[in-house]
Amino acid sequence: MAPTPHARTLRDGFLRAAERHADREALTVGDATRTYAALRDEAFALAATLDAHAPDGEGQLTAVFGHRHPTTFAAILGALVRGHGYVPLNPSFPIDRTRSMLVRSEVRSVVVDPTAVGQLEALLEGVPAGLTVLVPDADDVAELAARLDGHRVLGRADLRPASEATLGAAEPDGVAYLLFTSGSTGNPKGVMVAHRNVTAFVDVMVERYAITHEDRFSNTFDLTFDLSVFDMFCAWERGACLCVPTAQQKMFPGKYVKKQGLTVWFSVPSTGVLMSRLKMLKPGAYPTLRWTLFCGEALPVEIIERFQEAAPGSICENLYGPTELTIACTLYRWDAERSPAEAHLGVVPIGEPYPGMEIRVADASLAALPRGEAGELLMTGPQTTPGYWRDPERTAKAFVVPPGETRTFYRTGDRVVWPEGKPLLYLGRVDNQIKIQGYRVELGEIEAVLREVSGAEVAIAIGWPATSSGADGVVAFVGAPEADAAAILDAARERLPSYMQPSAVHLVETFPLNANGKVDRKALRARLEADA
Amino acid sequence: MDEQQIRAELREWILAHAKSKPSGELTDQTAILETGLLSSLDIVEFVLFIEELRGDEVDTDDIEPEVFTSIDTLWEGFFGQAAG
Repeated sequence: MAPTPHARTLRDGFLRAAERHADREALTVGDATRTYAALRDEAFALAATLDAHAPDGEGQLTAVFGHRHPTTFAAILGALVRGHGYVPLNPSFPIDRTRSMLVRSEVRSVVVDPTAVGQLEALLEGVPAGLTVLVPDADDVAELAARLDGHRVLGRADLRPASEATLGAAEPDGVAYLLFTSGSTGNPKGVMVAHRNVTAFVDVMVERYAITHEDRFSNTFDLTFDLSVFDMFCAWERGACLCVPTAQQKMFPGKYVKKQGLTVWFSVPSTGVLMSRLKMLKPGAYPTLRWTLFCGEALPVEIIERFQEAAPGSICENLYGPTELTIACTLYRWDAERSPAEAHLGVVPIGEPYPGMEIRVADASLAALPRGEAGELLMTGPQTTPGYWRDPERTAKAFVVPPGETRTFYRTGDRVVWPEGKPLLYLGRVDNQIKIQGYRVELGEIEAVLREVSGAEVAIAIGWPATSSGADGVVAFVGAPEADAAAILDAARERLPSYMQPSAVHLVETFPLNANGKVDRKALRARLEADA
Repeated sequence: MDEQQIRAELREWILAHAKSKPSGELTDQTAILETGLLSSLDIVEFVLFIEELRGDEVDTDDIEPEVFTSIDTLWEGFFGQAAG
């Protein structure tokens, strides 16, 4: 099939690579591999099948219910071939929440991989009839169809040949993917990311990292976490291979890097902490890595230093960005000589905005602050997404035109400081800055002191007990199970004013992580509530 | 500690840390990671526990993830005659 006649959208990089690198590996998942030609044919067959059975009144979104299986990656591409955006649904997440995403996204077609079939009945419980449900790996869907009465269930026998696929119309302003992020209150918000947002991101990344068809990308992220979009589409833009560990392989990331000869590593810092704890960051351990990238939470200096030693041939970068600004929008290159002095409270800077992205550090009224004053980070540029799906109210709150501006900026809710001539520093969430007994306190500062006096890689401070105006005090969790809590408290007392001193330190072996692999503060707070 | 004791210790530890109750009995063949019984967070503690049991460090660079498939494979990989 000829390349797209339409304006550029997210699928185009893959389709071009499939022409140029038809026989190269595009994907490896567990023991299965797919060449570009094979993955394209699977995607085309899925697209042709869905188009042949498109329900009446179908919109521009297709859901993909699956996890770490080749069919799921083919289905993402299949959705894009149709001219649709994809909506990832994770079978390992709580099914009620996933069902609410399915219903709220109004999708009418769902592709289901073998890892998710067992959950399908629960997913569709109470969902209005009339969905097209494609289970391409199922030889016999008669029994499943009987249980999913009212939906059209299709299996392997129903697959249309790839040659029947046509590239559906797709526009740069159309939705490339819809991802739900947790709202601090109430329902998850569906972030619409347009093709023009994500192609702008991919262009910056593949140029910066000089990606070629020789590269092999890690895929540590679930598809419901937008950092996975970097893995897939930066690899496929240049004919590289996406390497997806199984759940079991993912527990031993070091082994996987070596086995697959990965050249691009991308994970949350917590994965680095885990690797450090499992003694997987020995000097020189990963000679194949060209790039070591972190994103998603504050990156401790120790972790990037250890990773740099373990992957001495790689350049380490810290990326920052909310889903609403398309994956990442600032970055910082680590330099073993210069960077330790640029770090703030033991956390790696987030650097500079991406080309084309602009920064405004603002006060609570959104007025721009002078350089060097701490405030909320607002950003605008080609990666600013159109807003939240079917939610004009929450869109209007987060996507704003600040005073003296004509362009729309996204309010990140993150506190930063950007001193003249220096990299941008992440200070924490705006709501991590709390009032304790009336004093304004940055929890990150307490955490940095605790890390330093305990030698732990992770320390979390929680305002506790909470009051209507903030908190009465602070309780801390420190990841140093063998340490002496009383000694940590004593040392912290010498470094912090009384209102910032923790009243208690809980020593923990490991921290609870949320679905995206970040330290879960809410779970820690729940522990305190349970003990209260 | 003999083989039966070690297997029992492993089973007890897994049950004490399991995120969900295993469907049916936890046998020496039950998949402990792929079924989500243990998470990546538990692995750190689990490796420490195995080091304690065998009285020797575990080199996570050298082991195959497959060693953590079940109690059987853990026994063979860390405690059996083949274990280094």
